[in-house]
Amino acid sequence: MLRHTVIQNVPIAHAGGVRTPAAVFNEIFTVFLGLGTLVGIVVCAYTVYNAYAYRDTGEESKADADRPELGELPTGGGGGKKLFLSFGISAIIVLSLIVWTYSTLLYIETGPDSQQVQENALEINVEGYQFGWQFEYPNGQTTSGTLRVPQNEMVMLNVTSRDVFHNFGSPELRFKTDAIPGQSTKTWFVGQQAGTYEAKCYELCGTGHSYMNATVEVMPRDDYQQWYNGSESE
Amino acid sequence: MTHTKLYTIIYVVLFAFATIQAAVEGFGLVDESYWFAFWLIIVLSVVKAVMVAAYYQHLRWEPRSVSYLAGGGVLVALALTAAAAYSIV
Amino acid sequence: MSDLPPKSSIRRWFLTTNHKDIGILYLVTALFFLVFGGLLAMLFRVELLTPAADFLGESGYNQAVSTHGLLMVFWFISPFAFGFANYIVPLQIGADDLAFPRLNALSYWLYLFSGILFGISFFQGVTFPGGWTMYAPLNTPAYMPGEALGATSVVLAMIMFVAAVTLGSVNFLTTMYRMRAEGLRMRDIPMFSLSINLTVWMMLFAFAALLAALIILSSDHIIGTNYFTYQIDGDTFATNVNNPGSSMLWAHLFWFFGHPEVYIVFFPALGVMAECFQTFTGRRLVGRKWFIISMVLVALQSFIVWMHHMFLTGINLEIKTLFMATTIGISLPFDLMVFSLIYTMIKGRVRYMTPFLFSLGALLLFILGGITGVFLGAVVLDYQFRGTYWVVAHFHYVMVAGATALFGGLYYWYPKMTGKMYNEFLGKVHFAVYFIGFNLLYFPMFIAWETPRRVFNYPVELTVWHNLSTVGAIILGGSFLIMFYNLFVSYFRGAEVGDQPWEFATSAEWAVASPPPLENFDGVPSYASGTLEFLSPSDVAKRQSGHSGAAADGGTAETSPATDGAGAEAGALATTETALATGAGTAEPTGHEHASHASFWPFMISLGGFLLFLGLSGIRTGSMLYTSLALVGGILGFGSLVGMAQEPFFAPETAIAERWPFADVEKMKLGMWTFLASDIVLFGAFIGSYAFIRFAYGWEAWHHDLIPEAHVTFPGLVNTYLLLTSSFAVVLAMVAAEKESRAGVMASLGATFALGVGFLINKGIEWQHLFHIHTEAFPEGWAITTNLASSTFYLTTGLHAAHVIIGLIIAGYMFFRSWNGAYLGDEKPIEYFGLYWHLVDIVWLFLFPLFYIL
Repeated sequence: MLRHTVIQNVPIAHAGGVRTPAAVFNEIFTVFLGLGTLVGIVVCAYTVYNAYAYRDTGEESKADADRPELGELPTGGGGGKKLFLSFGISAIIVLSLIVWTYSTLLYIETGPDSQQVQENALEINVEGYQFGWQFEYPNGQTTSGTLRVPQNEMVMLNVTSRDVFHNFGSPELRFKTDAIPGQSTKTWFVGQQAGTYEAKCYELCGTGHSYMNATVEVMPRDDYQQWYNGSESE
Repeated sequence: MTHTKLYTIIYVVLFAFATIQAAVEGFGLVDESYWFAFWLIIVLSVVKAVMVAAYYQHLRWEPRSVSYLAGGGVLVALALTAAAAYSIV
Repeated sequence: MSDLPPKSSIRRWFLTTNHKDIGILYLVTALFFLVFGGLLAMLFRVELLTPAADFLGESGYNQAVSTHGLLMVFWFISPFAFGFANYIVPLQIGADDLAFPRLNALSYWLYLFSGILFGISFFQGVTFPGGWTMYAPLNTPAYMPGEALGATSVVLAMIMFVAAVTLGSVNFLTTMYRMRAEGLRMRDIPMFSLSINLTVWMMLFAFAALLAALIILSSDHIIGTNYFTYQIDGDTFATNVNNPGSSMLWAHLFWFFGHPEVYIVFFPALGVMAECFQTFTGRRLVGRKWFIISMVLVALQSFIVWMHHMFLTGINLEIKTLFMATTIGISLPFDLMVFSLIYTMIKGRVRYMTPFLFSLGALLLFILGGITGVFLGAVVLDYQFRGTYWVVAHFHYVMVAGATALFGGLYYWYPKMTGKMYNEFLGKVHFAVYFIGFNLLYFPMFIAWETPRRVFNYPVELTVWHNLSTVGAIILGGSFLIMFYNLFVSYFRGAEVGDQPWEFATSAEWAVASPPPLENFDGVPSYASGTLEFLSPSDVAKRQSGHSGAAADGGTAETSPATDGAGAEAGALATTETALATGAGTAEPTGHEHASHASFWPFMISLGGFLLFLGLSGIRTGSMLYTSLALVGGILGFGSLVGMAQEPFFAPETAIAERWPFADVEKMKLGMWTFLASDIVLFGAFIGSYAFIRFAYGWEAWHHDLIPEAHVTFPGLVNTYLLLTSSFAVVLAMVAAEKESRAGVMASLGATFALGVGFLINKGIEWQHLFHIHTEAFPEGWAITTNLASSTFYLTTGLHAAHVIIGLIIAGYMFFRSWNGAYLGDEKPIEYFGLYWHLVDIVWLFLFPLFYIL
């Protein structure tokens, strides 16, 4: 009895431990938001400070000897060293951020490292149409409006469109890809917590665009299996 | 500068190249080895185009900057075509 | 030509070709479109008070967001910047006008009428509802409610707008490379003019690609080609479609234009910021050289970043990586520019006048826009931001930051343009209200970023942020009432200003009266001594003898463009220009004649073009009204073109000027080549489109599946012979003109014309044959709408044929003039026509193999 449950709960392709796209996004977004806020505050504050510090008080200053004059040929002001220093710092920040995120891009593009997880991924075809979503499962059955997937399993979506350009994405599960007629694009996710999630269309596709939602049901494996087998026979 | 003789020679060469292009197809080369024929024909077109631009449009005798201007247009169009086609490989 | 009436006369504003008048017209018109686009935004911000379509309705909402975007991007912000460019650039570089004043007026009128056509689209049932990015295939009539005539009008209005832009680009480039004051090197021109120079370079190429996309789209709308449509095999899981490249083709063409467009919009604003920072801090721009180099780098690189708008479209990883790198690369020069502006304040005498406040505000907003843009450069984040309010908030922080600087420019140059000072207190109030409204409008969008773009039923918990935005929108919009009031009242009651109301301003526009006289400068401006001075005629004569040759070609008649009869093509404009007009007045090169400033034809040509396009928008319904509108418009436009060609119009080249790197390329020739460069991109984009969808379909299968046996090489070969021979004939005509042989000129031009007509007849016969074949594969013939291959074949070679027809009109005109002995010893008009004709020939050299052999 005990052995039986263990086998049930720890299936071969268990993807409960993989870094989900949602986790990847949250991590990077947090770092960017922190750094971005910091840089933004520093630079804006420094800008405003300069504008204030060098306000015209009507007093004479040494720099007055060398003010621009009407009709002069333009030359640059000094301060080149400082310019390059700050430019260099900003370049380093930006470049290191991007280099850092590039490895995660590769991860998102190729999926989890575990070959087993990849091989056992559930592949579902998604087709957008004005104005809804249709899902086709490996056994050939289709559903509209609700995508059912098992918990803790990698789900690979092949997304296309029947009519115009759509985009299929879920704000919580953090998958998103364009649904383009005549082409298919791929994206993947892992639902680590059972529950109901939203998916939406993210590309203007006509009058019903705003309503073009779907739900994603992440189901415990047993429930999913039951549903999957049951509906197949219908 | 009159270059009547030069212009005439170029005209003859252009005429001949166009004929060769059609002949490549006429002799079945396009069906036999498509990509060889493809590049042969395209290269001939490029040569013709350069000759027209260099001599009939006088780019040879204009300041180099004019050629850069026209070349800029060509470059932009090529970048669009090549990158767009490559992106969906 | 007629004399220019005073500014108080309405007639003046229809006739004027003076750059300052045109500048004012641009500014006023652009502000009108700001209000237009702003009111649309106000409508959908009200809609967004609650998360449901309970105000505008679903379709109304989509139309409002789409047209708001199009109007603001195309009809407001760039034309607003070009209002300043028109007014200020000639003054800054020391020119008395633009190189082709009538062309400039034509640009303006085409712009205005394109906007009117856009306005009319609202009354043709439904206007364009598919977003300003116009993604395919939602942009085709099949997916639009009703007859979609309004959407067609929008597409045609955009074509007309692009025509205006292309003419403007040619004009500004020619002006800036041929008419700079002596001693003013390219790197020395003031920052605003420099930013405009780079902007028009980007415009020249980017808008040509957009023109290709728009011509193709309008052809899909009007004559039923299939570039952006596709068919489906079965009704589920569409994998086997006939045109798998349709959506991606649009995305590539649009964003290839669309990304440079961001900089096209922003660069003039940067120029204004640089000017205002220098003037109001009393410091020279820190690292000016590096600032300029950064801008040049951005302008070049802007053409290889477009796919960062398409990261989720399934493009391959290699190209994503490449475009990620170029995108990050293009952000770095902006860091340098921002720091340069910040450091310019150090040791300054910062005076918080309204123009400076707007410039400083723009800088702060741009910093935020830039930082949030770096988020989008990280592809993993971009995937999630795609299609959300993060993008909306980010680009409004960038684009509207640009507009903010331009409003600063309006206050900065207002005293120069009117001779009156605006009310400083009201200016400051405007800025304060504007800045608060701006941030209240756009900042909450970052917080509510999970909202998908262009929806009205956002998540309920975000309601408060959307409501804040709406309040911000009302405040931002309301702030303009203060500006309009201020500028209007100050025009009558403002204090008079002298030449230079701003201490520490350096550029030449401040060295002339406010407002400047009609011909700008009393003497000839020169920087040869290191500072600006004005030379008397005798000084000029002295220097001229010094360097004759390049500079001595005193005056040539302006040649002005003719609108392409079929209207669709900006390019044709400049072309017809060359030949038609060069014929008209080989004006006396004495330089003593007064320059002309008035012509009624630009207005008439644009009116004709407008009626023609309005007619075309509904011609597929077969309605009498639309058909006759098109007919009347076509005739009016063509007649006005001929009228303009016949009109003597004198726009002398400056006697002495700085002309690097085009010193030895006279004005007309440079204008012609600039136009041809954009035409190369137009055709390149057409050929690229063909290559792309053929590649997406399957390159080799294409020929087998889609093209009938009857489509053989022979007619194409004959046409190649005909065109090559006609090119040769043009060269001979030029030689004959040099030798002053009237018979030779006539015979050669006659041969050119006859060969061109032969080309068209041969093509006509071929098309007729293909239209009516009956084979098993093509029982209904091989018509334009039959399949992808037929669509690309007829449209691409059709565009080429349109070029041939325009060329023939010019050739015919020149033939008749040569009858009267024109061109003998003056072969230049023939040479310019030849440049165009040879390009048409070159294009065919590629169309022939691609559409007939391979």
